[in-house]
Amino acid sequence: MKALLKKELGFYLNNPIGYIVIGLFAVFANFMFVKDIFISGSASLRPFFDILPWLLMIFIPALTMRMISEERRTNTLELLLSLPISESQIILAKFCSVMVLTGIGLILTMGLPLSMNILTASVGGHIYLPEIIVAYGGVLLVAAAFTAISLFFSSLTKNQIIAFLGSVLTIFFLIIFSTDFAAGVLPPFVQSVLNYLSPVTQLSGFVKGVLDLRAVFYFLSLTALFLFLTVTDLEKRS
Amino acid sequence: MISLKNVTKTFGETVAVNDISLVAQKGEIIGFLGPNGAGKTTTMRLILGFLKASKGTVQVNKHDPLVERMQILPSIGYLPENNPQYGEMKVLEYLHFIAAAKGVTDATSVERIIRQVDISEKTTAKIEELSRGYRQRVGLAAALIGNPSILILDEPTSGLDPIEQEKIKDLIKKSAKEKIIIFSTHVLSEVEDIATRLIIISRGVIVYDGDKPKRKGGVETLFKKLVR
Repeated sequence: MKALLKKELGFYLNNPIGYIVIGLFAVFANFMFVKDIFISGSASLRPFFDILPWLLMIFIPALTMRMISEERRTNTLELLLSLPISESQIILAKFCSVMVLTGIGLILTMGLPLSMNILTASVGGHIYLPEIIVAYGGVLLVAAAFTAISLFFSSLTKNQIIAFLGSVLTIFFLIIFSTDFAAGVLPPFVQSVLNYLSPVTQLSGFVKGVLDLRAVFYFLSLTALFLFLTVTDLEKRS
Repeated sequence: MISLKNVTKTFGETVAVNDISLVAQKGEIIGFLGPNGAGKTTTMRLILGFLKASKGTVQVNKHDPLVERMQILPSIGYLPENNPQYGEMKVLEYLHFIAAAKGVTDATSVERIIRQVDISEKTTAKIEELSRGYRQRVGLAAALIGNPSILILDEPTSGLDPIEQEKIKDLIKKSAKEKIIIFSTHVLSEVEDIATRLIIISRGVIVYDGDKPKRKGGVETLFKKLVR
């Protein structure tokens, strides 16, 4: 598994694509927050963490779309399956490599809390660090769930674009369940159930600095479910 | 030991392999001969557990390749049809990846195989930049890593020029000691040169399984007689 993880990371880190995707994520994440910070006049990072799921909705499928679909298209999946690596190890290695890359992307956004801390310190305030750590932890859980969903779609097709669109649309619908738009068009009971299933709803506690174990369980369950479905798909023999 | 007993494999209405049985023992180099679509690759994929037999049983070293994949794969070296590889990787990096995935800890074994397949001057080249012959040798090197007791080679000389074909045939012969080698081909002379046993498959049915004919051109005569 370590060998495969190294190979997957090597693909992105020895290739401009990895740097471009991570760089674009960092630029957009920073820009989307900074553009409004002086208008809102509030020294809170909550708007930044609210934006992140939307960016991850594009960033993670972009990193993940080729992972299994390309192996299927070029038939290297047959080569991988001829090696003594189990299907679960293959999927876990790919999952971990995306999580490492997402981690790098998130590290590149850490200038925001740092600069916010400097700004607030100049007027006698300070950023509450545990809240930021919990929020970043929540974002990592969102990333894990999105990665698992994207890997599943990548395993279903040989076409990277279809895998990308399938993942983005699924994540998009999960996200909009929590919006006012969904509340306006869906019956209240359905909307409340779907709202609960939305990663944005589950992330909201983390953004406030609350480590909600129910939300942790939700993200871990969603991640495990899609990883299981992906492994099952790979284990299928016609 | 590889054993297939009354194995049938169907894809929808199409019968790819029909009630075939064979046993392969250590020391045999089996030339698996047949026209395109005869069932050679399907049989190999059944042995590797990539496909599930519709009927019959497949065993590799007394294990079912479908359910005990992790038990049999360390003893198998496989060169798939069309030799899929990670083109963006350098040769040495790729072979080290295969070695690590196979759990080979002996650092010198990769270097030894590189010398054996004669690709020392290409180790820093990207696989996608190699000629077909070199890529085939890299594929063979990957199959040989870990000194597997079974080698399954699906059309190892396909698309190569005669000089490259000779080199690959030499390599297969040199690797044969204490192994089961099954190689598929539709090149009759290849079987004549390197196989110790001949299996001819036609339309999913094994029509010949035995010693290869001793006289020159015998394989061709037999093939033409059995495969129409």
